[in-house]
Amino acid sequence: MSRTPFRLFSPLLLSLLCATPLAALAKDVLLGASVQLTGPVANTGRYYRDAYQIAIDKINAAGGVKIGGEAHQLALKLYDNQSDVNLSVRQYTQLISQDKVNLLLGPFASNFALADSAVSEKYKVPMVQGGGASDQIFSRQFKYIFGTLAPASNYFGSTINMLKELKPAPKTVALLYADDAFDVSVAEGTRPKLKAAGFNVVMDERYSTNATDFNSLLSQIKSKKADAVLVAGHETEILNFVRQAKSLSVAPKMYSFTVGVPSEDFRKALGPDAEYAFGMTAWLPLASQKDRWFGDAAQFAKEYKAKYGYDPDYHAASGAADVEALVQAMEDANSLDPQKVRDALAKVKFDSLYGPIAFSQSGQIDLPQVVIQVQDNKVAEIYNAKGFATKPKYPMPAWSTR
Amino acid sequence: MDLFIQILVNGALLGGLYAVMALGLALVWGVLNIVNLAHGAFIMLGAYSSWYLYSYLHIDPFIGLPITAVIMFVVGYVLQRGLLNLVIRAPMFNTLLITFGLEVVLTYLAQIMFSADFRTINPEYAGNNLQFGHIVVPIVPLAAFGAAIVLTIGMWLFLLHTRLGMAIRATAQNLLAARLYGVEPRHLYATTFGLGLALAGAAGGLYGTVSQINPYIGATLTAKSFAIAIIGGLDNPLGVLVGGLFLGIVESLTALYIGPTYSDVASFGILVLVLILRPSGLLGKTA
Repeated sequence: MSRTPFRLFSPLLLSLLCATPLAALAKDVLLGASVQLTGPVANTGRYYRDAYQIAIDKINAAGGVKIGGEAHQLALKLYDNQSDVNLSVRQYTQLISQDKVNLLLGPFASNFALADSAVSEKYKVPMVQGGGASDQIFSRQFKYIFGTLAPASNYFGSTINMLKELKPAPKTVALLYADDAFDVSVAEGTRPKLKAAGFNVVMDERYSTNATDFNSLLSQIKSKKADAVLVAGHETEILNFVRQAKSLSVAPKMYSFTVGVPSEDFRKALGPDAEYAFGMTAWLPLASQKDRWFGDAAQFAKEYKAKYGYDPDYHAASGAADVEALVQAMEDANSLDPQKVRDALAKVKFDSLYGPIAFSQSGQIDLPQVVIQVQDNKVAEIYNAKGFATKPKYPMPAWSTR
Repeated sequence: MDLFIQILVNGALLGGLYAVMALGLALVWGVLNIVNLAHGAFIMLGAYSSWYLYSYLHIDPFIGLPITAVIMFVVGYVLQRGLLNLVIRAPMFNTLLITFGLEVVLTYLAQIMFSADFRTINPEYAGNNLQFGHIVVPIVPLAAFGAAIVLTIGMWLFLLHTRLGMAIRATAQNLLAARLYGVEPRHLYATTFGLGLALAGAAGGLYGTVSQINPYIGATLTAKSFAIAIIGGLDNPLGVLVGGLFLGIVESLTALYIGPTYSDVASFGILVLVLILRPSGLLGKTA
């Protein structure tokens, strides 16, 4: 609650922050973004506002972007799209046509990136976005969209590899997913992988986004005896899912969720009931991930927490990497010209706090997902490309014995 | 068979909660002829109130319910006297606009005050359940179901048998006659709106104990309450209870047999059917 006065005045501060450097330094590089600061997805949207700002401040403090031997400072023009896709499309159009931003940073969530990338494509201004993972965004042969989230279709890839090695081995799997761009892509990628791994898929159900009642699905999971339950959805749905699983005593051998598990908010809301939940992340704050500006990922996490008062998750790291990718590409191109920066982005290759940054032909990064689990109210790294890192808590015990 | 019974139980329990959510909306609509589009936002505020009482003052959510209800009653009384009463004689469109505006303002105030973080009211016993053979009955939804029945019957008895309740019904039926008999409509309207909000507050407390709370849950809850009020009819709290149970069971069965994406299609499809076939609700008097 101590942040309330700041929150009240933050729109004012934000506009001041955006306006002053603009007027003072004409040579600034202006980056534009529209992010969910209010509305139902504001909870995750804030990661992007905070990540963009901390990365820009850090790069400016280190001298800014060097183009043609001259240092330019970065500035951010940020709009709140109120979690409304149509508004975000209009705001991106405004960023390009009226605010004359040089380059674009992305919104959060696949359905937003899917719509907004049509604007960047139309005006031929490159957008680097760290909030949309759906394969649909990159399947349209667009040239100006680049993404730093690992492909949605592979979110459960490492989890399925882990399932094959767990003992006692799970045999039956339930796949549940929400009906939006991201989660449908996750399901489409997961289905063939489950089949190839030889699992018996006893449930394959799509549910409405923003569903609050999972009692029917949970009762079916119990009666069909699914050993492993994979859920692709939104954090609000996952919270209800776990709470209702407890109240109906539904305890499969394991369950894994595409969202929630890496974020502090999830563990706070569920308390001890968050234990045993599996999830995945393409990023962990490891000191081994070196970064030109922050030193390394652990340092980034520390500074981020100190500045904003909460732990960054992979969304935040991905957002910071977007700013770095644009800066790297401007320096590689030695130009601010959108076309040249775009070509440099297509070839960009550098190590960052988020991992090695390079884009495929379609514009998407490829990072392996690490399987994580909530253990003792912390996120534990369970399974990565090399195999088990920590012993998983498996199988999940009955709720009555927890 | 076990699965079918389990789904019926789930649906009935869900329906009980639905009924509590819709009671306040139906009361305000029936008596004041205000379709309160901010109803869901008030449920959200009730949920936050219970969450505060639980998290900071360590008051059990079920003991906190009456406290939340009293707070919300006061809010409702003041809002009606100070704001809604100004447009009570105006065409319905104006009251729709003003309650819609309230919904937007309350939602964004809630985000400023409580942040967009997700909250849950999660006491030790929240996930406990009773088991009868293979059938599991979770206790918090069961308690919410019990609360729904108590509140509905309480409302019904109150409207039928107390002086205030009769005055409320009289005002709804014939304002002029009620005034001639000494009813003070301004006070009465404000009391009714306060009661509607008290019910919304109680529903919010129950909702937060079984689900998650964030500033944006309101709009969906308004839509659901609206459907239940239409299906059940506005004349009678018992109709709302029946409407809630019916909707809960239909949604659960739809999720089982047709698919979870069709739950909303089913509930709003029924809404349309009821409007065509029985416009005054399942238990309403036929025209």
